[in-house]
Order: sequence, then structure tokens, then C-alpha cells
Amino acid sequence: MAEETYPINLWINEERLEKLQQAGLSSMCKEVLAGLKVLAVPNTAAQRDKVLKMFPMAKFDTATTKSIELLPKAVKDKIFDLVVQKKSLNIMDDFLKS
Amino acid sequence: MDNIGHGGKEIVERILPKSAAIKRLSELRAAKVKELPVRLQIATEVIDIAYGFFSPLEGFMTKADVESVCDNMTLADRKTAWSIPIVFDISDDDLKKSGIKQYDEVLLTYTGNPFAIFDVTDIFSLDKKEVAMKVYGTTEDKHPGVKRTYQYQDKFLGGKITLLNPPKINEPFTRFWLTPKQMRERFQEKGWEMIINHQTRNVPHTGHEWLMKGAYLGAYGSMMVDKPRGGVLVNAIIGEKREGDYIDEAIILCQEAQGKYGYFREDIFLTTCSLWDMRYAGPREAVFHACLRTNLGCTHHMFGRDHAGVGSYYDPYDAHRIFNKLPDGSLRIKPIFNLDWWFCPVCDEVTYMGLCGHKDKKASFSGTLIRSIIQDGVKPPRRIFRPEVFDIIMECAEKYGFGSAFVNEQYLKNRQPVFTIEPLK
Ligand SMILES: [Zn+2]
Repeated sequence: MAEETYPINLWINEERLEKLQQAGLSSMCKEVLAGLKVLAVPNTAAQRDKVLKMFPMAKFDTATTKSIELLPKAVKDKIFDLVVQKKSLNIMDDFLKS
Repeated sequence: MDNIGHGGKEIVERILPKSAAIKRLSELRAAKVKELPVRLQIATEVIDIAYGFFSPLEGFMTKADVESVCDNMTLADRKTAWSIPIVFDISDDDLKKSGIKQYDEVLLTYTGNPFAIFDVTDIFSLDKKEVAMKVYGTTEDKHPGVKRTYQYQDKFLGGKITLLNPPKINEPFTRFWLTPKQMRERFQEKGWEMIINHQTRNVPHTGHEWLMKGAYLGAYGSMMVDKPRGGVLVNAIIGEKREGDYIDEAIILCQEAQGKYGYFREDIFLTTCSLWDMRYAGPREAVFHACLRTNLGCTHHMFGRDHAGVGSYYDPYDAHRIFNKLPDGSLRIKPIFNLDWWFCPVCDEVTYMGLCGHKDKKASFSGTLIRSIIQDGVKPPRRIFRPEVFDIIMECAEKYGFGSAFVNEQYLKNRQPVFTIEPLK
């Protein structure tokens, strides 16, 4: 079984999809709900804890989504931009450093 | 439609007409009756009592009522089902300072203006921990209902309420505010014999829509279809908010949109609001909701999974089971029990746990998941979330939510009040 990740779900609309396509990353999206796409940015347990500490309004939702939720839009936009810029999902260390 | 409410009694209305109220106020002031300012929590329930949302209650509970609610889930008459204490608290200090005694007539004020007369017939204290345990099944103050109970002051006043000064309901809630009697008149105009209540404190996604439609079809039964003989009432709970809740304005306007944009025919759909601070009492709150909606004139009430629950304090279907424990004839409203819904990629539709045979393929969409999508500003597929509803959420965020569709500190501090009490002139 794969190691548990603690993802941040970035929901993909057309604008985001276009950026992902340009970066050649669109295959990283998963279709989850009636065609809705999500890009799950993985976190280690340590990264998850740092994110939750840095953004006290955020929560790890254990009950339903099993992901880090309630991050402000601006924060998620920044994470998305980093993914596109680095052409990789493994950007959380960079994000936490910045 | 008659005006018989919960407990088989005429809907309570304890409101003085304006001219009588002005006269009464000057008499009270001439007699120098004691005046007591109340906070929003109490003001809300004064309004609920006076207009009969809490029928057959005519005032705040006496000790005998509170004890019976806790022990028997009835009022002190041991017959009328009631599950949540409705109490007026006051600190020892304020009680002493005010000099209020049993059988005093007290003038309640709100935001500096005369509001209601309170005939105090009982002054008492309560074991708050015991109340919490009996009503909420826990003494942990993490539970919002328990927390509220612990925050009550140490003394309680019981007695009848008479409203002198009706609230002004502010926009955008004005058109959604109907008193129990007005609600019944509206149903009569619409020719509805069957009224299904949908309890909500959410903006609707298609899972909710599906449940309402399912309840409508189920309850309509063998009534003739020559004209609409029944409808769905969305009665949104407007009251104390917690950070992360949808803002009230988005809730009410998005619910209305389901009729406005034809997801329900407008002649079978109505959106209104009731003022109530959620206690999250799970099964007991479900019983309270049944009483409240009986008073609104509803014939049926939907109860979903984990109705009015919080955290993991209640089993998801406790709020269904409790109705089997009530003596026959306790309620004049029929519960409709709902299981879970989900999106099924095989059926390619929003469907229902009790119907779809592809459980292993289901895509659940909890409120948390929808919130996550909305918070990203991403419009979900229309089979999951109606685009008009999404647009209204975004508008409300700008217009009422200080940029957010979800309650934050700024909203709690600076929002427009839902109602105001103006000078009585
Ligand atoms: Zn299916």
C-alpha cells in the first residue's frame, strides 16, 4: 500500500486547466465528481503539520475528504502557481520556505 | 387551514397592537416598572415566543418546565413533547441590582428601545452540568450546545412574554420572514394540503435538491395531480453563526434560487426563514425542529443523516430513532427519513443510498468537499451544483460577506443585523 499523503486539493477550472496543459501537467489531474478535476498536492505528515501551524484557520479533514481544507484562496493560488512553475507536485518544501 | 399548532393548541400570538403598546409603555414607565436590557440570544427567543414559533410556549420556561424537558422530554404538563430548554438567564449581580422579584412585571429593552413585557413568575437556578448531560448527552464544552449552557448566568427567570415592539427584519431577509400565522395563510393561498419542510443552514447542492424532490414525490402519494396540492418549504435557520458557516444571506438567497431558476416549479416551492440559534442537539434538536415546523403549518418534515448533529456526539441515525421513542400522537407532523445521497458515475446522476447499486463506485460530496471547491472560486459541474446558485454565492460574498461566502471574524463583527428594534413611537 502506498504511503499516506495529506493532500491539498486544488480544484481545476478552465483557467487552471489551461495553465496545466501549457506546463504539460494536465495528466496529473484526477476526475472526481461528475467530470470535475482536482490536482492533489501531496504532503508528508511533517509538511502537513507545518501548513496547519502556518495557517491556523486550516484543518485536516479526517471525516470526509481526508485532505487539508479551509486554506485561503490566495494561499491555494500560490501553491498552484508553484506547481506550474516547477512542473512538479513536490513543491511543498519550496512553498513552506517562501 | 386551522391555526392549531404543536401540542394541539391554537398558535400563540402575544403581541400588543401598536396603539395599545404605546399606551401600555407609558403606563409602565409612569409606574416605574423595572427595566432589563436583553442580548441578541434572548431577543431572538422573545420574538419566537411572541409570534408562536414556540407554541404552545407563552414565555420563558419555569423550573418545572426545564426539569420536565430534561427528564421526560415534555413540558411540565407531562404531555406536550418538548426537547430543548428555552430559558432566560440573569447574573446574581444583575438580579440583585435590578431588584426583580417573583410576580414582577418587567420591561425588556433591546438595543436601548422598549421591546417586551416579561411577567416573571419563577426565579430559579439550575445544575447546568446536569442539564447539559440530559439534553446533549455530554458535558464536554466542545459541544456548542453545552458551551452555550455553561455560558448561561447563574439565575433564571420564567414567565410569559408580551411583545410591545415588533422587530424590523432587515434586507435581504424581509421577504423571507413569515410568522406562523402568515405562513399558514400563504399555504392556504397556494392550495397546499401537504407541506414538506426542509431544514437547512446550508446553501443547496444537488444532493439536497434530490432529497427534497424525493420527499415531495414520496409524500404526494395518491393525491390528485389536477393542480399542485402540496409543496416544499425550505425553512432556513437564521441565528448565531460559527466561523466557517455559510453567511446567512447566501443561505437564504441560494435556497430561493432553486425556485427562481426552475429547479422546482415556483408554485410548489417556498423559501422562508426562522430565527433560531442552533444547539446541535442531534436527536433532541430533531424533535424541536418537528415542533417548530408543526407551528409553521407543515405536514411533513425531512430528517437527513446526522440531522442537527455535531462532531461525533450522535450516531448518524439517532435523530431518526428518537421519533420511535415518542408516545403516539406526540407530534402532529410526519417525519420523512433520508439516507445518504451520492454521485454515481455509472448511473451518471445524483442518486440515493437506498436506490443505487454501485456503492463501490460512488463519489460522495460532503458539505466540506463542496466548500473546498467553492473556496477555490471554482464552479462545480451543474449536476453537482447549480450554476445560478454558485453565482449568487459569489455575489453574496462580495455584497454581504466582506469577500467571503463563509463566516469570518469580520462578518461576525460588522455584518448587518438580521433584525432591529426601533424606538416605539
Ligand atoms: Zn449507480
